[in-house]
Amino acid sequence: MPKYIPNAKQYKHPLPIHPLDNLPPLISHNPLSWVYWLYKYLSSTNQLAVNIHVELSSGKHITVADPNEMLYLWRNGFFGTAQLSRSEPTWRQRTLARLGEEDSPQALEHVTQQRRLQRLEFKRQRASFEETKLSLRRQGVDESEILQQERDFLKSLRDREIQLQGQNAVSLRDSDIELFDNEDKLKELEVLELMPVEAVFLTFALPVLDMPIASLLASLCGSRPTYDEIHELCIKYAAYHHYRSHGWCVRSGIKFGCHYLLYKRGPPFHHAEYGVMVLNSEDSMDYTFYSSIARVLGGAKKSFILCYVELCESQDTVLRHWNAGRFDRVFGSYKVGEIMYRRWVPGKNRD
Amino acid sequence: MSVGVIEVVEDSAVRSALVDSDAEGDELSQDWSHIAKLSKSQVVVPKRGEKDYGPDGTDAQELLLYKARKAMFDSLSDAARGTVIKNLTHAFYVPELHSAFVPKPKGSFMHTIGKVDRKGVCWLTFHELVYLAERGTITPYFKHSERQDHDLDPSLSIEDLYMLFKSPQEADEFAVYAHLKRLGFIVMNSQPRQEMTHREVPKAIPSLFQSFRSLARRQFDIFRTPTYHPLQFHLMRYTSSGQIYDALSKLIPHYVAPKTIQDLQGEKLLTLKEGDSSRSFTFDVWKPQGSFKKKAPGWPDFQVLVVNKNTKDYKFPTYSEMKLLFKNLNTKVDSLVPESLSGKTPPEKGKAQRQSKPVAPHVEQQRRLKKGYRSFILALMDDGLISFVRLTESDFGSEKVWFDPKRSPIIKSNSRNKRKTSSDRSAGK
Repeated sequence: MPKYIPNAKQYKHPLPIHPLDNLPPLISHNPLSWVYWLYKYLSSTNQLAVNIHVELSSGKHITVADPNEMLYLWRNGFFGTAQLSRSEPTWRQRTLARLGEEDSPQALEHVTQQRRLQRLEFKRQRASFEETKLSLRRQGVDESEILQQERDFLKSLRDREIQLQGQNAVSLRDSDIELFDNEDKLKELEVLELMPVEAVFLTFALPVLDMPIASLLASLCGSRPTYDEIHELCIKYAAYHHYRSHGWCVRSGIKFGCHYLLYKRGPPFHHAEYGVMVLNSEDSMDYTFYSSIARVLGGAKKSFILCYVELCESQDTVLRHWNAGRFDRVFGSYKVGEIMYRRWVPGKNRD
Repeated sequence: MSVGVIEVVEDSAVRSALVDSDAEGDELSQDWSHIAKLSKSQVVVPKRGEKDYGPDGTDAQELLLYKARKAMFDSLSDAARGTVIKNLTHAFYVPELHSAFVPKPKGSFMHTIGKVDRKGVCWLTFHELVYLAERGTITPYFKHSERQDHDLDPSLSIEDLYMLFKSPQEADEFAVYAHLKRLGFIVMNSQPRQEMTHREVPKAIPSLFQSFRSLARRQFDIFRTPTYHPLQFHLMRYTSSGQIYDALSKLIPHYVAPKTIQDLQGEKLLTLKEGDSSRSFTFDVWKPQGSFKKKAPGWPDFQVLVVNKNTKDYKFPTYSEMKLLFKNLNTKVDSLVPESLSGKTPPEKGKAQRQSKPVAPHVEQQRRLKKGYRSFILALMDDGLISFVRLTESDFGSEKVWFDPKRSPIIKSNSRNKRKTSSDRSAGK
């Protein structure tokens, strides 16, 4: 059984570039400590020893394949989404645990799966009860009697649910044999996929990926793009950089129909509290657009933020900077403003 | 369960205090069974219960619905209704002015509705007239201009009144007006106000000293500002994650919400100079209160803009329009955080003592983020359905939310500043 590592220790660094936090103490009355400190200061660097290798497939898919690097990106800032897991790359561990090869703590995906099975079972039970209820009604049984029966039924379901928890079985399938290579080791099937903005952040703002920013952007937008071709990426990145650089952990919000979710520290620590939609400052959508996203986010107890990105320079200037490779000027010419959108219920604002 | 455990958030207290007011559905529709009990010795009124999971072919649900409806109609039809003729209040609609007057006004509606002129005649706006007529508080008449006496003026029915709306927009506005009034809010037509004179505020002088200091700080920071060059990390060294964040956060400029009354006034002055106040609000809304005075209503709690979603010229406001609306906003400023809490200036001693419970800075920050700053309400009409949306100015750019083990609100790099913050904290206690 692997030892439990506290979250605060496991996810100590919020960014993949670590600060120099192992500098010796600086003692003001001891000049020798100054020299030692200076030596340590100058000899160490924030840079990674080896940059993380990424692959670009079909132009837009940016993936990391090495298991250690995948884990590194997840543990240091929660970048990327593993393709066979929910977000953290846990497929390997889960598979080993399923095949009984390795004892592992319960992964999040297991919890979800179990919950789904329970829900399915509940629906099946409910449907069968609805049938009996109908036959009772047809027989003209009193409504209160039916209600009583319904209560008993729900209670019995609940009891069974409590019993079910904690049961866990090893299951083997015939096709599982194909998961292993010639040396009887589990194949590495899972890769970590990065959102384009994440990849830009990890090359442009922080030197983490082993790819020059110019070639990354060229493959995302084409080598000689027009302004319209880069606009979407630019406003998305401006918003992404804005929130990342203020300390938020920004992840894709596609599950909730918006662009980004903002986590404080990261998914293991807090639920995301905000859902962000990135818009042009002159965008005016149909009301249904706003209200439907607000409904979905509101159902998950998240606040809906409209993030408006405004271009402060002319399009030609931006394009010129882009072609000259001055991407800091490109992204710096966007200005970000936020509006919180919230349904207002008059009856609850009367005090 | 190493990964699955979501750490118990230490600020659960905040969360319960800040629970989104509209999160748990709106159970505002009336349950007539309670009223029915009062009006008549009803036998059994069906309680509101769970709906069936699906239609099952029997009439069980129909029966429940029938019972509930019957309870409503019974309680409506059985209640003794009517009025004493002597107490009738007459209102006369003047078509030229599109408003009405009440020659002998009486009744508690006067508390929040109408405008009394020098002769003691109460003038009602058209919304107020229709609303009061709908409630049965007044009896509306159509005023013929050539006559002095009111004897031959024809009485108006509710349908007649509805026909007198000048435009669909006015009818929409009335629907919102009546909805809010029925819920007890005090609603007035929004008047363009000149300036904020009676908000006693010390003259705001932009402190030169402060701007110098911030300039100096920026000078120091230049050494750590990233150039976004591939080689920059060979030259620069960061000793904390906060420094990295600080450096990165300078790239994208952002709008800063005015957080103090001084900021607000500065912005107001700018708007006055620009002179653009094209789009203004429809209604000023106050929360229900006994101490309300028509003459000196004070600042409204909310300002409402009514738009119809289905008209041709409908447009959800763009960001620049929203900013303009925020500038024209004239509501209470309790939503703005006092400067002492924004984490920029040290709290004054007096202020710190007045606050009964000191709140941790990160909790305070969370509240600021959740609450936002200025806000207005958009009432959207969609085929007679009103949905209210509150648009609030937020400012994520002024808050730094990364986790700092030292738990200080702002991460400072040099030790002089560090000493300063610690002394601030002791002064705050």
